[in-house]
Amino acid sequence: MTKQEVLRKKSVQILEKIRESLEKLNERMEIMIELQKHGRRDVQPLPEAPLDVMTLLSMPDHLRKTAMTVCRLGRATADEVAQQTRRARAVESAYLNQLVIMGHLKKERKGRKAYFYVEKEDQG
Amino acid sequence: MVLGRIIAVHSYKGGTGKTLLSVNLAATFVKHGKKVCLLDLDFRAPSLSTILKIEKAEHWFNDYLNGTCEIDKALIDLSDGINNDGKLFVGLANPATEAIRDISAKDRKWEMRALGRLLALRNSLLNDKGFDYLIFDTSPGLQYSSINAIVSADLVIVATTFDKSDVDGTRRMLRELYDLFEKKTEIVLNKVLYDVSSKFGKEEVQTRIKDIYQVPILGIIPCFCDVSKAEGNIIFAQERLEHPFTKILDEMAYKIDNNKA
Repeated sequence: MTKQEVLRKKSVQILEKIRESLEKLNERMEIMIELQKHGRRDVQPLPEAPLDVMTLLSMPDHLRKTAMTVCRLGRATADEVAQQTRRARAVESAYLNQLVIMGHLKKERKGRKAYFYVEKEDQG
Repeated sequence: MVLGRIIAVHSYKGGTGKTLLSVNLAATFVKHGKKVCLLDLDFRAPSLSTILKIEKAEHWFNDYLNGTCEIDKALIDLSDGINNDGKLFVGLANPATEAIRDISAKDRKWEMRALGRLLALRNSLLNDKGFDYLIFDTSPGLQYSSINAIVSADLVIVATTFDKSDVDGTRRMLRELYDLFEKKTEIVLNKVLYDVSSKFGKEEVQTRIKDIYQVPILGIIPCFCDVSKAEGNIIFAQERLEHPFTKILDEMAYKIDNNKA
């Protein structure tokens, strides 16, 4: 590998790290904004907030669309939801985090990706 | 590859002919060589078991929604005696009073899981088992089980009549339920009287319905004395092939089949 190639590879790695950090920062800011909107300080979801159809019906249109897409997909990233709703990824990310804070969705990180899903504990 | 579709048959009021429509639409699709699964989601007043003359089932559709059995165990194969490639499976709601009481007392968490299990049918039945149509026969009005069915469906067929309270309620549901879930909705006007005393002919009825609901009309079914007299003992689409009711159902099935959105 030439010196130039090594330098290029390093630059790409640094840029990827910066993008990753910016994404994390963006996500934290979205959560902080949502928490502020709901007058809360912690990110613990509300204890009893099942995503049933009556809850879906009472939601504002923009959140219902996101929530229904996650219901249909089962488990999805903001990117996957955005593909279905044809809205921007950043918009979906904000709505998904809002639904997490409201206690309707769960969020799980796997590597660089964040997955959103409907709580399925206590089945039976 | 053309995937199958989920159809929910719903109405605002009871007695509009949802079950009659569901059963006969399923029979019509089967007659056209389709693989169909008819599911009774009217858990408060189950009727498919009576109409299809099935007294006992090893597992009910209730069991699938409760998570105590898989979907293949909750389905009954009624394809015996069908002379073409068509197949008919049914999932029955348990008509026992205890089962009705049990399902009426379910909480929001259960309803949420039930929605998840209904949504999962798209994969398990349409994608994996190759069904062409799932037809949900629902309870009238805004019941949890009906709204779950509507959310899971690709097409909602709304059975309605010219009864004033039914018209008002159906109009409200179109705006405040189906529209909110962005559902493709079509109207079936049932029990229409075309006698000399009626002010309206067929075309006037169509125009009037379009004006009232502003959604496509799937079909208009006149009030047939033969159908009423049969008291639910005859599946016309299967047993009275030349009856005008059967012909109307054929047209509806053709429209649905050729309108794959």
